[in-house]
Amino acid sequence: MDELDLLKSHWQKDDIQEKQLSSKDIYPLLLKKSSSIVKTLFYISIVELVFFVFANSILPMLLSDSYSENIDVVYGNPLIMKVVIISGYFIIIPFVYFLYKSYKSISVTDNAKKLMESILKTRKVIKYYVAYNMVLAFVAMIIAFYFAVTRNSDLMLKLDGAATGKIILLVAIAFIITAGFVFIIWLFYKLLYGILLKRLNRNYEELKKLEV
Amino acid sequence: MNKELEHNFVELLEKNQNIVHKVCRLYTNNYDAHNDLFQEITIQLWKAYPKFRGDSKFSTWMYRVGLNTAITLYRKSKRSINTQQFDAVQFKISAEEYDDTEEQQLKLLYKAVHQLNDIEKALVFLYLEDKNYREISETLGISEVNARVKMNRVKTKLRTILNP
Repeated sequence: MDELDLLKSHWQKDDIQEKQLSSKDIYPLLLKKSSSIVKTLFYISIVELVFFVFANSILPMLLSDSYSENIDVVYGNPLIMKVVIISGYFIIIPFVYFLYKSYKSISVTDNAKKLMESILKTRKVIKYYVAYNMVLAFVAMIIAFYFAVTRNSDLMLKLDGAATGKIILLVAIAFIITAGFVFIIWLFYKLLYGILLKRLNRNYEELKKLEV
Repeated sequence: MNKELEHNFVELLEKNQNIVHKVCRLYTNNYDAHNDLFQEITIQLWKAYPKFRGDSKFSTWMYRVGLNTAITLYRKSKRSINTQQFDAVQFKISAEEYDDTEEQQLKLLYKAVHQLNDIEKALVFLYLEDKNYREISETLGISEVNARVKMNRVKTKLRTILNP
């Protein structure tokens, strides 16, 4: 007899002793909060949306007037700042829409593979959103640096006297700091999602391997 | 209406709770984790219940939600790390058919199943529940042929674990 069939015969008879729950025990369970990865993913995405909206638009407004004037000077034109903020809102709308749609498509009654795919798709939407913000931060930093050098008269005077080598060094340092900043954030995300989705990724790979 | 829905659900779950217990048995190895997973599966079942149309059996629907929760949605709780592991699983074998070697064999077999990975456990679970390969393939989202091939590999793997 097949080993597994021996277990099957006992399994079918519910031979394994389990503590049986009464309906009184079950009712309170319905009120408990889920701690599934979909829920965690959802909270993380909300935090990310809020964080970047805050960092991109609200934060500069909260800063002191002199600072915003400085930013206006840096960008050379207050209009640029406004365009950046408003385009930020336009970008966030489709992201929220896609995020909502992909959350809606996650269904626990789908087959295992499809469920995993819907979750990974949702994670991808969040990933693109973060990537977009990283690119934006990078570009903004470079533009700000450019305007700071060309429009800030004090700095221009100082740089006029400096050797080309020094200017290149300055540019290189600014570039490295920005790249380092983006890298740290990237690492943080790798770690965060790596831990959260480790099991899911492993199981998904295992299912995909079966199809080869 | 809501009360009625809740009442029906609890009644069905109470009657079919062994399915959930069995999933928990396979995927956890201590009491706290078992209870945690049981709770998460119950929540997922309850959340999905309003969409349950009754065109499949409640138990069949439970297999899917239960396994999906165990394989994909469940996050191992922190508190389960330090708690005591299960002793060997207890089988209620009736006195007249009691056979010491058989019980030993069952326990070893059960231990071997525990060493399989999540997907392999899901296959074994559905096999033990006497599901055919069409149902297994539909639950996991793989083809029927691949389900069959994988099941044979799992059986070989179990044999290797049992007779190294």
